[in-house]
Amino acid sequence: MATACRPGCAAVNPDPVIGLSARQAGLARCGACGTLDRRGDRVVCRLCGARVHSRVPHGLQRVWAFLLVGVLVYVPAMVLPVMLTRSLTMRSDDTIISGVLQLAGQGSYAISIIIFVASICIPAIKFAIIGGLALSLQRGWNMSERSRHRLYRLTELIGRWSMIDVFVVAVLTALIQLGTFITIAPGPGIEAFALSVIFTMLAAGSLDPRLFWDQDTDARSRPR
Amino acid sequence: MTSDRRIALDDLVACPACDWLHRRPALAAGESAVCARCAHELQSARVDTVDRSLAACLAGLLLLGMAVTLPFLSLSRSGIGSSISVLDSFTALWHGDFHWLGILTLTLIVLLPLLRYALLVAVLLPLRLGRTAGQGSRVAFRWVLKLSPWAMPEIFMVGVAVSLVKVGTVARLDIGLAFWCLLAAIAVSWYLGRVLCPDTIWRRLAGPGAPP
Repeated sequence: MATACRPGCAAVNPDPVIGLSARQAGLARCGACGTLDRRGDRVVCRLCGARVHSRVPHGLQRVWAFLLVGVLVYVPAMVLPVMLTRSLTMRSDDTIISGVLQLAGQGSYAISIIIFVASICIPAIKFAIIGGLALSLQRGWNMSERSRHRLYRLTELIGRWSMIDVFVVAVLTALIQLGTFITIAPGPGIEAFALSVIFTMLAAGSLDPRLFWDQDTDARSRPR
Repeated sequence: MTSDRRIALDDLVACPACDWLHRRPALAAGESAVCARCAHELQSARVDTVDRSLAACLAGLLLLGMAVTLPFLSLSRSGIGSSISVLDSFTALWHGDFHWLGILTLTLIVLLPLLRYALLVAVLLPLRLGRTAGQGSRVAFRWVLKLSPWAMPEIFMVGVAVSLVKVGTVARLDIGLAFWCLLAAIAVSWYLGRVLCPDTIWRRLAGPGAPP
């Protein structure tokens, strides 16, 4: 019996009575509602109607596909301008990096740090963690389940925050359209950046955390 | 034979994060159980989840509706002023030929959160009124859970704060009522995340004959 505890308490059950994963017991857990059924018994869940897979089908292949696209479009996202500013006296095409530097130059350190972390650090960390976890599963690197689990939770938590810069460009464009002296337009880099964030979120979503705990490599290579 | 197997199966739960099997814990209201292997939350029984979540959804719908239509920011520079709502910012992007950016922003900030609240109301209201849930409710609740990472109003707010600082040097910006509505909507969605208990709701949706 799992230990019941008050919210906030992190007591861990000391005596698991079953000692198997659902997969080892020949069961599959519905990813949407948690209903258990015999593996292979049904393709759809008897409660919620979702497709039931013991593990995300072709999980690691999906991770690599999404991650690769995410990394590829991150290159134009960094190189191409994300914001085109036009006025009577000046025109400037800012990339993400030049925007960060410009903000720091104006003394807005807090804002430039926010953008730097959200647009440069978080994507880089996510690429490294997702790629590292996928590699560690494929190559069978010796790594504790718990640290893999923690890294995975971290990517899930921080991934969405990269979108900040996309919203900044959208808000500035919409606001400044109204003025007549200056216009701001989104540059091609921001499209690539938004796509990179979306594909990296999809890659993180395809990484099945249950694979970290599977002892048999069989579970990792089999489709279902 | 089949009924035996069903009872045995529904007596078990597997950890969503590591697949470790447990006997279904008997939880009192307000308790939660964690996985014995990875310490991820296994099952929870949050207090009064249907009523509280329903209240949060209705408040969220109202606040988001106001946040979208009321003036969000107003800009003034040397006597020329203008004010925009979140919807205006979409039309401004659209008319400026930045269709994809407008659609992306509108979807992540407005459409997905509204859709999520509406679906959740459609799931919870019949439960509150004591009607039996149909298959439609279960599909809807599945989507509610699936959509949650893609609704990003809180991230938008950080984007707005950054934009305010960037523009603040060139023009005077005033914060409108919708700004505070969106902030309140974010607080409500945070509250919803704390009171919504998927385990309890799935069990209610399973209807009679399901485990307690």
